[in-house]
Amino acid sequence: MIEVRNLRKSFKDLVAVEDVSFFARDGEITGLIGPNGAGKTTTMRILYTIMRPDSGQAMIDGFDAVTQPQEVQRRIGVLPDNRGLYPRLTACEHIRYYGRLHGMEKNALEASIDEMIETLGMGEEADRRTKGFSKGQTLKVALARALVHKPHNVMLDEPTNGLDVDSSRAVRNMVHAIRDEGRCVLFSSHIMSEVQNLCDRIIVMGHGSVVAEGTADELASMTGQADLEEIFVAIAKEESEMRKKNQLDALKEEIDAE
Amino acid sequence: MLNKIWIIATKELTDNLRDRRSTILSLIYPLIGPVLLGCLVLFVGSTLKAPKVEEHVVVAQGSDNAPDFVAFVREQGADVVETDLVDVQDAVRKGMHSSVLVFPENFADTFGNERNAEVKLFIDSSRLSSIMSIGRTVELINRFNRHIADSRLEAHEVDPEIAYPLTMKSVNVAASLSISGIFLNMMAPFLMFNIFIGGVYLAIDATAGERERGSLEPLLVNPVPRWQFMLGKYIASLIFTALAVLTAIVAYKAIFSSLGMLGIGIKVNPGLTDFIFVFILCVPIMMMAVAIQMIVATVSKSFKETQTYLGLLPLLPALPGMIMVFVPIQPSAWAMMVPTYGQTILIGQLVRGETVDFSLMAISCVATTAVAGGLLCMAARAYNRENMAFAN
Repeated sequence: MIEVRNLRKSFKDLVAVEDVSFFARDGEITGLIGPNGAGKTTTMRILYTIMRPDSGQAMIDGFDAVTQPQEVQRRIGVLPDNRGLYPRLTACEHIRYYGRLHGMEKNALEASIDEMIETLGMGEEADRRTKGFSKGQTLKVALARALVHKPHNVMLDEPTNGLDVDSSRAVRNMVHAIRDEGRCVLFSSHIMSEVQNLCDRIIVMGHGSVVAEGTADELASMTGQADLEEIFVAIAKEESEMRKKNQLDALKEEIDAE
Repeated sequence: MLNKIWIIATKELTDNLRDRRSTILSLIYPLIGPVLLGCLVLFVGSTLKAPKVEEHVVVAQGSDNAPDFVAFVREQGADVVETDLVDVQDAVRKGMHSSVLVFPENFADTFGNERNAEVKLFIDSSRLSSIMSIGRTVELINRFNRHIADSRLEAHEVDPEIAYPLTMKSVNVAASLSISGIFLNMMAPFLMFNIFIGGVYLAIDATAGERERGSLEPLLVNPVPRWQFMLGKYIASLIFTALAVLTAIVAYKAIFSSLGMLGIGIKVNPGLTDFIFVFILCVPIMMMAVAIQMIVATVSKSFKETQTYLGLLPLLPALPGMIMVFVPIQPSAWAMMVPTYGQTILIGQLVRGETVDFSLMAISCVATTAVAGGLLCMAARAYNRENMAFAN
């Protein structure tokens, strides 16, 4: 269970996330959708303990990401936007390193590594050094090391970004499998069709705040559009008009005051 | 906790042992100092190695005019060889002879009349390799001078001692003789350089490099406190640094021993215990150097920026040692408090075979370890910075 309450985070003058609240339930895939710069990555980074919010709370299974980071880290598996590998280590060594950092026992760890390699279909490259790996191969290694300890909560930041069809399908299958085991998945993307197909619930972010949330159907009835892409455009447009109106109001007030 | 730190350290060690750049810096670079020093000693040692006075050959012009001198020199076991050079100055300047002694035409008359006769010795003082040979010629001239003066005074029934009010005997108290001391002094600054270079690649790669490759962010999500990540990487860098210093010390020992066997230059051959103490003295500086590297690698914006700063760093601690090569400084408690400075003095003493004050060694080790501890805390704090995980 992932929960965010009134989250705010700014970098100098730029407000990246403003009063964001949402939750992602167990046994569900929750999609975090929005254009680039909407605050998806910042929200995720606060959730997985790499950033500290200015105010508000980020909770994983009831543990606070700021005050109990280690408890949170034990319960999450993360595929961040940065997913670099060590070119001189083999794929297996990557997975083993993370498993050991999670304090896994040797036998359980080796069994889990084998399972990961099997599920992600990376048998051939498992014992190869990762230098020169393709985007798809890199992603599989990054996913495997993030999930080797079988975390209850899984956060994936734009997992299918730049992947070929086969690799994207492997990721989708894995995400479905995790959901079916009753675990919690938070999935960010700016590809509308992917989110529509994959996610049980969708949270739409724009300009650092949540602008709409619900199932794909609920969002459709809210906006009167069937296609999520249209929904997104409609929401974005509505929001941008709201913003413009607010700015105009503020300007008018200023002029009146003068 | 220790287990996690060790997991991180062993990963970095495995990773970097597979990296050519890291291993070259740790295992090949340290050999440069000893090999360079060995070559210098061999070269200078052989040029300075001149035959004894008894085997010296005086190159002269007009020696026919000075049969007494020739006879005296041969009596001493040395020899005089006549040369028919047209331009003596040019020959000496070009290094054909280290010196040429010229007797003028009227030498025989002046000398025979017991007057003061002038001879000219052509030398080139800028030519280091001629110093010993010139000294031998001058020595023979002085001996001849004294010999003739004695016999002339005795002929006039005067005790020659009256003519020489002073007799000077110099007593050399240096444990190591002559030029070898300077070479031994060079070892400490070379070692300082090794310390600051040995593990630097790993330190940069494990923090700035990892950040630039985008592998630091996922790593820091693992349930391990940040300071433990820092310490694991620190230990791996420290091991690489220690490996570099050990390689250098073993190479110095091997080279000094073989030079000792050749009988060139090195008069004092430091023993195994001296080298063990040298290593012990180096440990606190290694701890300090790696801590500085960790801080710089963490706060710098990029791999390249880190490389630039850390490339200049090794020169700083080597500087006092470079000066001390020529101007040895007396050990004092305050000097021991200064990291790298105190160690340079003490390492110099150890390899020159002098007795070292153990309390000074202790002060040096404790002071530098304290500085290293402080820097390590700073490195841990730097690792806690929110933006340290991201390259931009």
